[in-house]
Amino acid sequence: MFNRIKKWLEVRIGLDDLTRTQLTEYRVPKNVNIFATLGFVALAGYAIQVISGIFLLIYYTPHPDHAFRSVQDIMTRVPYGWLFRQMHVMGSNIMIAVVMLHMVTVFLMGNYKRPRELTWVGGGLMLLVTLTFGLSGYLLPWTQLSYWATTVVTSMPTAFPYVGDFIASLLRGGDYISGITLGRFFALHIAILPPVFLSLIALHIFLIKRIGISATPFGTSDEEKRPLTEYKKKTYPDGSPYYPYFFQKQMLMVMIYVAAMFFLITFMPALFSPDEANTPANPLKTPFHIRPEWYFLAPYQMLKLIPNKFLGISIQIILVGIFLLWPFLDSQKEKNVFKRPVLRGVFIFLLALWVVLTFWGRY
Amino acid sequence: MERRNFFKLLLAFLGSISFASFAYPLIRFLAPPGIEAKTKKLSLSKGEIPVGSAKNIVFNNTPAIIINRADKGLVALSKICTHLGCIVEYDRAKKRLLCPCHAGVYDLEGNVLSGPPPKPLQKLPLKVEGETIVIG
Amino acid sequence: MRYLFISLLVILTFSSFAVGGYKEKFEREFMSQPWAGEQAEENACIACHVSDKMEPKLKNIPQNWQMSIHYENNVSCHDCHGGDPMDAAMSMSRQRGFIGAPKYTEVPEFCGKCHIGILKNYLESGHGKALKKTGKGPNCVTCHGSHKEEQFIQKANIDIINEQRCTKCHSYERAMIMKQALFLTEKKIGELEDNFKRLKKEGVFTADDEKPLFSTQAEFRALFHTVDVSLVKERTDEFRKRLDIIEKNIHDTLGELRFRKNFSAFILLLFTGMGVVLFLISKTPKE
Repeated sequence: MFNRIKKWLEVRIGLDDLTRTQLTEYRVPKNVNIFATLGFVALAGYAIQVISGIFLLIYYTPHPDHAFRSVQDIMTRVPYGWLFRQMHVMGSNIMIAVVMLHMVTVFLMGNYKRPRELTWVGGGLMLLVTLTFGLSGYLLPWTQLSYWATTVVTSMPTAFPYVGDFIASLLRGGDYISGITLGRFFALHIAILPPVFLSLIALHIFLIKRIGISATPFGTSDEEKRPLTEYKKKTYPDGSPYYPYFFQKQMLMVMIYVAAMFFLITFMPALFSPDEANTPANPLKTPFHIRPEWYFLAPYQMLKLIPNKFLGISIQIILVGIFLLWPFLDSQKEKNVFKRPVLRGVFIFLLALWVVLTFWGRY
Repeated sequence: MERRNFFKLLLAFLGSISFASFAYPLIRFLAPPGIEAKTKKLSLSKGEIPVGSAKNIVFNNTPAIIINRADKGLVALSKICTHLGCIVEYDRAKKRLLCPCHAGVYDLEGNVLSGPPPKPLQKLPLKVEGETIVIG
Repeated sequence: MRYLFISLLVILTFSSFAVGGYKEKFEREFMSQPWAGEQAEENACIACHVSDKMEPKLKNIPQNWQMSIHYENNVSCHDCHGGDPMDAAMSMSRQRGFIGAPKYTEVPEFCGKCHIGILKNYLESGHGKALKKTGKGPNCVTCHGSHKEEQFIQKANIDIINEQRCTKCHSYERAMIMKQALFLTEKKIGELEDNFKRLKKEGVFTADDEKPLFSTQAEFRALFHTVDVSLVKERTDEFRKRLDIIEKNIHDTLGELRFRKNFSAFILLLFTGMGVVLFLISKTPKE
């Protein structure tokens, strides 16, 4: 029965050929490590977000008078609504962590170098889009935490003279957060960002397949040291077949991802819901210790520390620019980060700085 | 090979249980709410509430009051004060509703006249069908 | 490419110093937002009453008030005493409703401006009648304190009824009978409040269910102020019924939370299991 379906498809789309080229004869380096699976895990994470998000969309009301109540109804009255909501909340935070980890490992393995600069740029843009997903989604439950954390973050652009107020006003739809903000953040979150993100994903995957998976740099001789002056797809004739070897590695990591998500849902369901996350938004009363979400804490803390706000935000924008265009700035051919102490040192310093700023911003 | 096939079978088994444990909640999640979600209506006769007076009722486990106002007719308001949840009292002489806890004052439309309440009293849907008043 | 960035950095750094004047204006607006830093206390009453120029007796007032339940509920000086907290010159002006500290016999009406249900019951009680008739007797401050000396107004609790306080005018016996009548209901209310705290920790939105508890508690305590033991005993049943309904709701919620924990633990196990099996598959070589 199964074979009859396969035969039917074979006649129409050449299933055998597809299976061969994409799965069984598509080869990956023998020593590919689990960090190379992180991109796939991030994709799986995004798929979970989309699916759980669509189900939440069925019961959510994007109006300031009803938003909080609709989320409460999902948590208490809709059967198993709590399951999908928790998946969406925990999932969003874990996905951002995975995406950041993916970026760090790609950086450390030097996989952004020629010819993979565009892949890195696409990835960097995807990180920014993911953070924007986080920002826009955070406001939607319309709790004290949502409202005030968003107030803080949307005030950051006001550090620009002249245009700053306009930018912040455009984001917020006014001088302060209101139903208009909710409307535009909701549209961003469900209608504007998804197609943008999906196109970036498509670009990213196309590039990976077209250029070929990069060789794991540690311990093997790396052909890419010689400068590439013409297109050559990277293949591994004596590598392992993608299916089943690499695919099962990817699926294992996805299982770990989902298990981590459910670990949080089971044992720490209120991890991202302090008291303020369960109180309806009150524009007249600011809770103490209000802060943005953890992934925005480092830039937020930096902005608070640098006495000149314009300088602060300019530095951040320049850093983002450097980050996005790093492959073009890093001209050294050496891919192995262990052979590049300066870069390693600077990177570890920046990473540590980010962690310190995040914790500082927390307390 | 035997072992490998066994693991594959185990995986398929666990996989289908996982699928079912998402499919079942999903079906319950998407299914339209049953009849229990529809609240019972409450009806009483118009004659029970002459003009100017009011009647206390309990609707849907909520204490409420139906007032027959001289100027604007019948209205059904929840008696739960929007400040901290105390039960308000009807002051017929002063044509207002007063909360005994922190002196929140409402008019007969439910709007806040003074005191700490942040929102007006919730209005309950009220229809007059002939000689009967129906709430809900 | 990198030179472009370095030059951009330099240009922006210099221009940001040039717009330094803008910095002050921005600083003021940014840092004065409540979430950007310290919150500015703009209260004229407190400003004077904490200063060293104030006599020591009145200097402790703001500090005592900050420990009170009124402070926790955003009730401040002018809400009871009148006056204008925004304008130091008018902060104690009769024009802005300033009434100062009430006299001993006027305390019930002072507190009763807001706590009207309790005032009504108190005036009909033995305590209220004694105060109005003879000028002697317990007023609100006698039991609940005020912000004078070392006191502050706490949330009411059953131990306000104690031997030391109630024997000032009569024997403790009748106070003890009243305390016993109140005891079980108060205990139940305390338990329910603790349960709500637990639920909140688990991330449950409890405000809707806390309202009936608050209103039941408020009514019960207002009832006590009639100091009429038989009335309290008569109506205790009715209050117990209301509390039982709330308790049942809490129980149901806790049960539901347990179910959720078990369900997600089950799914956790499933995925962990699948991860383990996948790992094992990867370790069994394909021949």
